[in-house]
Amino acid sequence: MRKLLSVDEFIDFRRRVHDEATGRGEELTLVVCAGTGGQASGSNDVIRVIKRYILDQGLQERVRLRITGCQGFCEMDPFIVVEPGEHLYPQVRMEDVSRIIEAALDGRVDEELIYREPGELKPYHHQGDIPFFGKQTRTLLGNNQKLDPIRIFDYVEQGGYAALEKVLANPDPEWIINEVKASGLRGRGGAGFPTGKKWELGRASGKRGVQKYVVCNADEGDPGAYMDRSLLEGNPHAIIEGLLIGGIAIGAAKGFVYVRSEYPLAIKHLLIALRQAHELGLLGEDILGTGLSFDVEIVRGAGAFVCGEETALMRSIEGKIGEPRQRPPYPVRKGIDGKPTVINNVETWANVPVVIREGAAAFAKVGTPTSTGTKIFSLVGKVKNTGLVEVPMGITVDEIVYDIGGGPSGRGRIKAVQTGGPSGGCIPASRFDLAIDYDSLAEAGSIMGSGGMIVMDEDTCMVDVAKYFMNFLKDESCGKCFTCRKGTQRMYELLDDITRGEGTPQHLELLEELALAVADTTMCGLGQTAPNPVLSTLRYFRHEYERHILDKRCDAFVCRDLVGAPCRAACPLGTEAWRYVALLEKGDYDGAYRVIREANPFPSVCARVCHHPCEDKCRAGITGEAAVAIRALKRFVTDRVDAAAYVPVGADNGGGKRVAIIGAGPAGLTAAHYLSLAGYGVTVFEAADRPGGMLVSGIPAYRLPRDVLENEIDALLDERVTLKLDAALGRDVTIDGLFEKGFEAIFLATGAHRSRRLDVPGEDAKGVYPSIEFLKSFNLRGQNLARGRVGVVGGGNSAVDAARVAVRQKGVASVTIYYRRTRAEMPAYAEEIEGALDEGVELVTLVSPVAVEQKKGRLTAVKFIKNELGERDASGRRRPVAVPGTEYAVPLDTLVVAISEEPETDAVAAAGIDVSKWGAVQVNPATFETNRPGVFSGGDAVRGPNTVVEAIADGKKAAVVIDRYLRGEDLRVPADVRLPEVFVEAAEVSEEEAAEAARAEPRYLAIEKRKKNFAEVELSLAEGAARAEARRCLRCDLEFTQPEREAEEVVAVGEEQA
Amino acid sequence: MITLTLNGLAVQVEEGTTLLEAARFYGFPIPTLCYNDGLRPYGACRLCVVEIGEGPRAKLVSSCTYPAEEGLKVRTASERVLKARRMVIELLLASCPQSKVIQDLASAHDVRQQRFKQEYEDCILCGLCVRMCEQQMMAKAIGFRGRGESRSIGTPFDIKSEECRLCGGCIYICPACQLRCTFTEPERAICGGCANISPPCVEKEQFGDMMCYMEPCVACEIEKK
Repeated sequence: MRKLLSVDEFIDFRRRVHDEATGRGEELTLVVCAGTGGQASGSNDVIRVIKRYILDQGLQERVRLRITGCQGFCEMDPFIVVEPGEHLYPQVRMEDVSRIIEAALDGRVDEELIYREPGELKPYHHQGDIPFFGKQTRTLLGNNQKLDPIRIFDYVEQGGYAALEKVLANPDPEWIINEVKASGLRGRGGAGFPTGKKWELGRASGKRGVQKYVVCNADEGDPGAYMDRSLLEGNPHAIIEGLLIGGIAIGAAKGFVYVRSEYPLAIKHLLIALRQAHELGLLGEDILGTGLSFDVEIVRGAGAFVCGEETALMRSIEGKIGEPRQRPPYPVRKGIDGKPTVINNVETWANVPVVIREGAAAFAKVGTPTSTGTKIFSLVGKVKNTGLVEVPMGITVDEIVYDIGGGPSGRGRIKAVQTGGPSGGCIPASRFDLAIDYDSLAEAGSIMGSGGMIVMDEDTCMVDVAKYFMNFLKDESCGKCFTCRKGTQRMYELLDDITRGEGTPQHLELLEELALAVADTTMCGLGQTAPNPVLSTLRYFRHEYERHILDKRCDAFVCRDLVGAPCRAACPLGTEAWRYVALLEKGDYDGAYRVIREANPFPSVCARVCHHPCEDKCRAGITGEAAVAIRALKRFVTDRVDAAAYVPVGADNGGGKRVAIIGAGPAGLTAAHYLSLAGYGVTVFEAADRPGGMLVSGIPAYRLPRDVLENEIDALLDERVTLKLDAALGRDVTIDGLFEKGFEAIFLATGAHRSRRLDVPGEDAKGVYPSIEFLKSFNLRGQNLARGRVGVVGGGNSAVDAARVAVRQKGVASVTIYYRRTRAEMPAYAEEIEGALDEGVELVTLVSPVAVEQKKGRLTAVKFIKNELGERDASGRRRPVAVPGTEYAVPLDTLVVAISEEPETDAVAAAGIDVSKWGAVQVNPATFETNRPGVFSGGDAVRGPNTVVEAIADGKKAAVVIDRYLRGEDLRVPADVRLPEVFVEAAEVSEEEAAEAARAEPRYLAIEKRKKNFAEVELSLAEGAARAEARRCLRCDLEFTQPEREAEEVVAVGEEQA
Repeated sequence: MITLTLNGLAVQVEEGTTLLEAARFYGFPIPTLCYNDGLRPYGACRLCVVEIGEGPRAKLVSSCTYPAEEGLKVRTASERVLKARRMVIELLLASCPQSKVIQDLASAHDVRQQRFKQEYEDCILCGLCVRMCEQQMMAKAIGFRGRGESRSIGTPFDIKSEECRLCGGCIYICPACQLRCTFTEPERAICGGCANISPPCVEKEQFGDMMCYMEPCVACEIEKK
């Protein structure tokens, strides 16, 4: 490169580069992202293969390869974009390269390798059509894709140094500053100080001719943020051009780039760019003959987070310890070596050439009036598309997280995003409609920061998040000022106590007081913003702190000392799943049974119908493999072991007192069992002609065989329990009457037995049945209500049960389930839906009934309307919205309405007990007390339709509470942390076995054998399969129970030597 | 001259005066730990915070480092200041409860409890010793090391400094380390660290060598942690 000696030569040079580019026309180009992220994902291998292929096939003249810096779509690295056409091939493997090049040479798109949204089939041929890119405005990042960072020609081709040309053609610092001011550009490092104003102050500061400095702050230290690195790596000339313009504007002849030495690629690219700019005559003495001089020096930071703070950064450049000092004086007055210094962030500098080239007005058009332009965020965490996104200011969090980010990466719904790294705060999902700019974020308790955006879902514990950041900050505080050093350390201590279950309400009070004091009294930005993670989580997620402190629960299952083994913590009954799985593996089936039965009076029932929250939280499932099939293992044990293996231990301290229980469902029977064991006389009143509640009237026999259920119930009815059937509350017994008869406490466990209505015209026609009535008629009385063409409306288990019962009834031609959302949103168990479809049930989704048509009072058809998914509701699910004009009628002979159930509590309300407007009995959730002394309630009567295991858990807790009540003790049961205590030797599993092991899938009865009968569908595991499955358990308990053998061995060796 | 308002009183001070100097000159007491008339202000202990500005822009700054500005409104004992100051003292008390200076501060500011886990440290990193060594003794024998929690004062790699003249200036100026003797002659060297009527250190022959800040106080056999 020849050194250019005048501005005219420079103009000529740029024109020549452009002409050459136009002359070349559009060439077939492979673009490979090779930023640090891309390289880590293997882009260097892909590049090597591409080069080899081009050489081997002699394609040098036909195919160009452009190796770029980070393009932002890091989730899909390494990817290749083929130009022209911009076909994006994600996550390219080395063996795919030849196919992509061949397709490109033929002008085709390889349909198999082209980009698709995860889990979807629709291919996206054009990069711009991909949702990730769709909503972005890639003013800065777009260039990263267009140029090779080590080729200055590429930069010039893309309009680079046009801004410099504009400035040098007529150097007028005032004009530059006014332009930057008019653009509204604000500091991208986070605080958002107007850049033009800072420059103006810098220009006015100091005597004429004094040495001044401009500094590019590239000390990017926020965990999870890397946009500065990507800009330096991908487009270093933009930073140099920005610094040059800034230097001319404020009268500085020297610029520094303060960059972390952990960014070797950024430093390398910047060094190359600096050398090129020198060679071309754009840096150094007498630039392009204008008499102006400017040079840039790179200073490498050793990695202290605090050096991103401007006063600390300046001291570090001076060669001293990177410690902040109190401002004022501000750097624009007294900066490096006491000279006026203007410090801006990388992204700010990168925006400067855009402002000058496009003009202030054009720049200010993007964004909001107070925050103009675009901002790059690094979107990371529990989101599908992680990467760098550049969006106009004013975009909502929702758009970034869902439209660009693609929504949650796991099963859990997204509950918050953390912006601004350790100095920032979190924004809860309820505020995702927040339009992002500097001021709105500050108002929400966070900061823009450098633009880190960490997405968090339900598996993220907010207390743990605050603790993580505080741990980071207590190490990264420089330690100069006392309240920052001690304050962060003390906040960490308090948070640590809370996550270990040692927190008290006073902890929370002190934490808040301390956080506010630290924010108020510290010297620099680090300390002043350090309490933000604590304050913002306290503001939006105080209930999580309270759960940790009062209930000793971490609902995200993160805090080790509160969770123990996740399977046990997840079980409402506290069943030690890890323990019976371990005993099963050893072949001790009786022992395993005892562990199950100790916690659960309905082991065989739960082995069949439990919704197994233990499996949802199983670490084997969360770490990528499949969860251990805990329920199937329980089934194996309960099928094999006689119930007599467990003899419950009773006490006799009832003192002759008697308790009445209304409702013989799982909650009522469980309470009766445990109260009887405690020594009380118990009478259970049941409205139906047999005990079991929903277990017998709602759940069909093919899921829960009646003999299994009867055996289990019989075992619970001992001599102290009296069962009165056909005795309904309000009709046969009353609350007052029971107290008069000498019962001292009453437990209401009447369940939720009223089906909710559809509220559509014609609903009362013959042939339309509420699901409870439909199921009860069959399960209790053997009546077949379904005939002909059957429709079921709803998506829960009740709907699927009704459909599978109907399909087994005589005279049924077809059964179809109609659901308003999509299958993915159906609340019914996946295996039940699968089973129903196997048995011939059809499923129609995204429809809602609008009217029932009838003839002579009898159902003839149902009119449905089609839905589409609209906006997300608070649960993160998209709401069904009816599409006008899509109504259609379906001829039906039977319609079962299974949209939901509610408690039937008129008799309860009549006795003066508070019920909610949808019928639920109102209780104190901690003690189950109703507003009437001595009357308690639990199960579905309180919760509405819920799971069997929750009802059993309520019954168990009710027994404890009622016992305490009758003894006159405090009803509140102190929260305790349930950690594994018993040590069971671990199985020896080789790595090969672990790698090959797959989850044992349950066996099902053949479909033809299920026809028109109620034989049990799910079958027990074979012994070999069960024991092999048990070996897949990761044994989370060992972390707590394993004796410290290693330490003993060390001692033993030492003694031997002695 | 600069005119500013101190607790509602319009006062004049010379340019370059700090808020602390101005307040003390006009008789408003502000507690300090890391401040010393003979050393350059450092702003580390945060005890001397005062409130400046008004409305939502009001903020706390350390008065020892903040230069007086024309028209500035300063409050040296507003509720916000006192609350923050009490928290600073509570934190100090939690770390260095043995220091007589800190005990007196707590007493004067009505801090009667500390709610954190009790520590027994002998340094609050106020940096007086470092500045004493550098600015008055011209030695620069000791300095800060590490950052955050692991920040400490000492020499590089704990190697005894050749610059140190065992002047004892660092010990003399330390507000927290009441266990060390503060005099250079044996007969006056009673530090209160031990309960002996005749402290053993005084009997030791090498008494003169024991004064260095860098060594544990072997004289009276109380080890520095």
